[in-house]
Amino acid sequence: MQELTFKVQRYTPGQDKEPYLQEFTIPFTEGMTVLDGLIYIKEKVDNTLSFRSSCRMGICGSCGVLVNNFPMLACHTPVEELKTDRIEVKSLPNFPIIRDLVASLDLLFEKHKSIKPYIISSDIREAEEPTAEYVQSREELESYVQFAYCVKCGLCMAACPTVATDALFLGPQPLGQVYRYCTDRRDMGAKERFHEADSPHGVWLCHLAGACSEACPKGVDPALAIQLLKRAMVFDSMRLAKKRQPVTLAHLPVESKPKIEVPEFTVK
Amino acid sequence: MKETRLKILQYITGIGLFFFAGTHLIVSHLSSGEPASWESVSDRAASAGWLTLYLLLLTFGLYHGLHGLRTIILEFSFPNYAVRVLDWALVVIGIAIFGYAAYIPISAF
Repeated sequence: MQELTFKVQRYTPGQDKEPYLQEFTIPFTEGMTVLDGLIYIKEKVDNTLSFRSSCRMGICGSCGVLVNNFPMLACHTPVEELKTDRIEVKSLPNFPIIRDLVASLDLLFEKHKSIKPYIISSDIREAEEPTAEYVQSREELESYVQFAYCVKCGLCMAACPTVATDALFLGPQPLGQVYRYCTDRRDMGAKERFHEADSPHGVWLCHLAGACSEACPKGVDPALAIQLLKRAMVFDSMRLAKKRQPVTLAHLPVESKPKIEVPEFTVK
Repeated sequence: MKETRLKILQYITGIGLFFFAGTHLIVSHLSSGEPASWESVSDRAASAGWLTLYLLLLTFGLYHGLHGLRTIILEFSFPNYAVRVLDWALVVIGIAIFGYAAYIPISAF
């Protein structure tokens, strides 16, 4: 592979009637990612190309795009893994396009906000002015930690066939986070979130296509979270759910160990 | 937990249908003798047990079918007020079908 052909979606609202593909031929370098290719195009070929990126190591979730019709993080996708020298890059489906490859993720963040993605504590005073640490066992942590790896990149929402047909459907990311917070023993907000997930456009609209879990670059498996959420909601509705005890607090020891001395700066 | 309760009922009626429709099919089509003869049909129509079974089969079948139809219609991204209209329309259709279909076995009893 000496050269790569990038077919990149271009679209400027108000100027173009609809998105179109522009072809760029760029040199291949070993270990390059799709994001490296886009950066090369922007720096050396066409500086009007718009795309979103930040960390370049699959952590921030900014560079979500559709690569050869599959939602991926551009920085997390080595070109060699695609097994072709023709790469088609489009903006994420199910989201409006701001420009070229930049999709507006407002809808995702609005839905995410609606499920209250934070610990709702029964003791507001303790939550606002903590006096101690919450005790959490390894098992309790493992029950939700996989779902806490979500970076809000929107790939699952772009892959979901139900989001494609029903814009009001909450979608895999917010529903996965409903389960993530409701499983957390520190949280007491399950009722509020279940109410949000129980709408006609909520959890029961999921068909378990599994496309979200396939697309997730962090291994979150939102489809599993949704299935577990369905079970939790059925148990809760039939009053079969185990009553959760408030989480215990571990007060910090009054006397702490002496701090390790920090070496002095070599440059003053 | 409105949607969850509707879904639980969907599962319960699904399991119920398996047994009630199964009983109906075994007795009407697979059992020996003449299950479709006038005497057999007349005997079943006069039985309180069979009347109960058929009314339960009708109720479960109607709920399961109409809720399934609702689930399919909801795929078309309706706003919440339209969902309420749909719900009431299906309730009215369900009651009307139940009234008409239940009249036959009840009047024959």
